[in-house]
Amino acid sequence: MNTTIVTHSIRAILLFIIQVFILNYLEVGYGIQMMIYPLFLLLLPVELNVFYLMLIAFGFGAFIDIFSDTFGMHASSALMFAYFRPIIFKLFAPRDGYDILMETNMFQMGFGWFFRTFGILILIHHLWFFLLMIFRVSEILFILQMTGLSAVLSFILCILYQQLFLRKPKKEA
Amino acid sequence: MRNFLAFLRQFRVILFLALLQSVALIWYFTFLQYPRSQYLTSANAVSGTLFTWQSEITEFIHLKQNNDWLQRKVARLEASQVDNLLKVDREHVTINDTLYKVQYVYTPAKIIRSTHTMRNNYFTIDIGSDQGVEIGMGVMGINGVVGTIHSVSPSLARVKTCLTENINIAAMIEESGEHGFLKWNGRNARKGSLTGISNDRKVKKWSNVITRGSAGTFPRGLPIGKVMKTAPIEGKPLWDVTVLFSEDYRRIQRVFVIKNVLRDEQRKLEGNLNAP
Repeated sequence: MNTTIVTHSIRAILLFIIQVFILNYLEVGYGIQMMIYPLFLLLLPVELNVFYLMLIAFGFGAFIDIFSDTFGMHASSALMFAYFRPIIFKLFAPRDGYDILMETNMFQMGFGWFFRTFGILILIHHLWFFLLMIFRVSEILFILQMTGLSAVLSFILCILYQQLFLRKPKKEA
Repeated sequence: MRNFLAFLRQFRVILFLALLQSVALIWYFTFLQYPRSQYLTSANAVSGTLFTWQSEITEFIHLKQNNDWLQRKVARLEASQVDNLLKVDREHVTINDTLYKVQYVYTPAKIIRSTHTMRNNYFTIDIGSDQGVEIGMGVMGINGVVGTIHSVSPSLARVKTCLTENINIAAMIEESGEHGFLKWNGRNARKGSLTGISNDRKVKKWSNVITRGSAGTFPRGLPIGKVMKTAPIEGKPLWDVTVLFSEDYRRIQRVFVIKNVLRDEQRKLEGNLNAP
């Protein structure tokens, strides 16, 4: 139990630093903003109560808000992510349920599962974020463009992060 | 009562979501409504220290370009010095008998945090109320206007840049003197727009856009950018003027905070005029 808390705290700090000090400064154009911190919320233990999940998401998002001058936009969209996580997880559950010992990352759950769940969750998250940011119906096309492009880039970033920092399971002989 | 409890139990997740979501949204919409609110922004002690470290690490990336800009500015100022001018006419002696009084005081500052991809972009600079920075002062870079001071803490301040929706700096076109307000549409960090230019006169392409200095925040004549293109607005006798900013807000590192010594006087006078 203690090791999981330590692992997740270290991951939270690492993703926070990457988000606030690096990704916030990258400009790609076309209104794209890359976000890597939703990965932390995805990788939290499956059996975690949804209330704790939402509290953690709110706190984590609020910290990012304070450091990037976004006034609650990250907190709000992280909350949406946390709310939809159990629902999406139930939708794409493996046949015999989730193994409590398993972490829900790309290697342990398989790329197909990761692509479906995280893809949908990050689309929800980005859509909410850009809706709040622009907050104008007349620019809905621009919002959708930003959401789609940013979601693709964030997704690729999260795959890269997992390739770099997570232990790959040994292949069975 | 039992029904009520059952209701709460059934919808407890949604209710909890609504509770937390309303906290976040109130935070966001309070800011949209009252942009002067100073709670929970990056101008606090903890994040200020962290961002100072970060800017010390990454400062060197744009150092070359910033040095080039500075050198060009020095050359421009040097060329206008009296000592460097050749005396053409030896017959007459000019006596400078005009008295001057300082109206604008410039304080140099370093940007320690900046964004340029958001809908409203703010810079955090490393001087604050201890150095005499006040809310509403103007900020300029080496090449042009940057924005106005938005909030202040003892050793840090936040700048509302030209890359915010309602920056509303009074600007004018240098040649014709037509004036309007500077706006930004949130798309491109190099292009802003100028509103309130009437379309009964042609606006020449690439004519300079400068500050008007009417609000007392900026001196008159600071460069903002150049007219890139003009398009008619349907149903209004106005041009939609696109301005190419002369300052590159993505690379800027050092700025000057402008203090207008006579600002309070101007405020007081204009306030009296408006009163019945």
